[in-house]
Amino acid sequence: MSETRGKGLLPWAILGAAVALYVGWALAPASALYTRLLGPHRLVALASLLKLVYLLAGSASAFRCRDRLEPGNPARPAWFFLSLGLLSTFVGQLCLAPFQVVRNQTPFPSVADIFFVLAYPFIIAALLVLLNAYREAGLPIGSVGERAAIVTGVGVIAGLVVLPILRPVALTGGPLLERILTVAYPVLDLVLLVPLALLLRIALRLRGSHAGDVWVLLLGGFVVLCMADIFFAYFQSLGEEHLDPFVHASFVLSYGLIAGGAHRQLQLLKT
Amino acid sequence: MTRSEAVEAVVKVMSPYIGSTMARSATEAHCQKLGIAGGPVGPEQREALLGKLAGGLNIFLGRDKSASVIADVRRAFEALEGP
Repeated sequence: MSETRGKGLLPWAILGAAVALYVGWALAPASALYTRLLGPHRLVALASLLKLVYLLAGSASAFRCRDRLEPGNPARPAWFFLSLGLLSTFVGQLCLAPFQVVRNQTPFPSVADIFFVLAYPFIIAALLVLLNAYREAGLPIGSVGERAAIVTGVGVIAGLVVLPILRPVALTGGPLLERILTVAYPVLDLVLLVPLALLLRIALRLRGSHAGDVWVLLLGGFVVLCMADIFFAYFQSLGEEHLDPFVHASFVLSYGLIAGGAHRQLQLLKT
Repeated sequence: MTRSEAVEAVVKVMSPYIGSTMARSATEAHCQKLGIAGGPVGPEQREALLGKLAGGLNIFLGRDKSASVIADVRRAFEALEGP
């Protein structure tokens, strides 16, 4: 039994070590580990590979969840959409990987951005389908008034916190497409946060259960994704190069948590 | 079996899967919609409640596992009702 538990903990230990590695790079970039042993090129290449692994694992787990649910189950399309969203992000990352692994470059904008942007409608659709499934099943997702208040609350927080953060990014003098994309990612994340905020109500009621574990991981992953896109916007547009390790750490953590959530749901359906 | 006994039985069986808070609030909401009040729960009401619970559980667990958990709830109800 302890062997099974050990196997279950190993992926989380790897994810924790990976995130710690990139946070360490941000905090002590001059240490021997980052100057002699690893170096920026190896770190960027490793992050690229980790992202690919987590995205592919997440997409595969989400697709298997869809497969495990019988036709007609209201949650089935949601896992399919999530699988497609993660697959689209995987293809985008796959487009970047040769540049990052071979040349230590991350071209932006590039064809990868088509796939990264394409992922959002799939993921937002997945969350909306789940919300609708919960409502139809009679689970307590709140009255129309409560839901409207949550949506308004997210909008106000976005207006007060995130938009001022993005303002300097939007006002930089870079190429138009680059500026549009740099701002588009965090804005799409905010759109994503609306169904997530509505689902948070359900997730809180599921706490302490197997289904609750799934939602803690998924919600955590999407919130960290929002942070990652804001780090990326600052890094890309304002040349804040010290944020690069945080960009990698947060994307790796986000993809790892989402993959973990999909895997946990798969375990729940299998056991 | 009273409504509160039914709710406690459902919470006990379904908590590991969907948590005690969700199990309780979903069961209370279904009881209210089905008109299950403070008095004894009749056989038809019991079956209707099990059907509603299965519908919600399906989303998290899929049909087969959901059916297995609902069978456990049914056994818990039968134990409450006695021979």
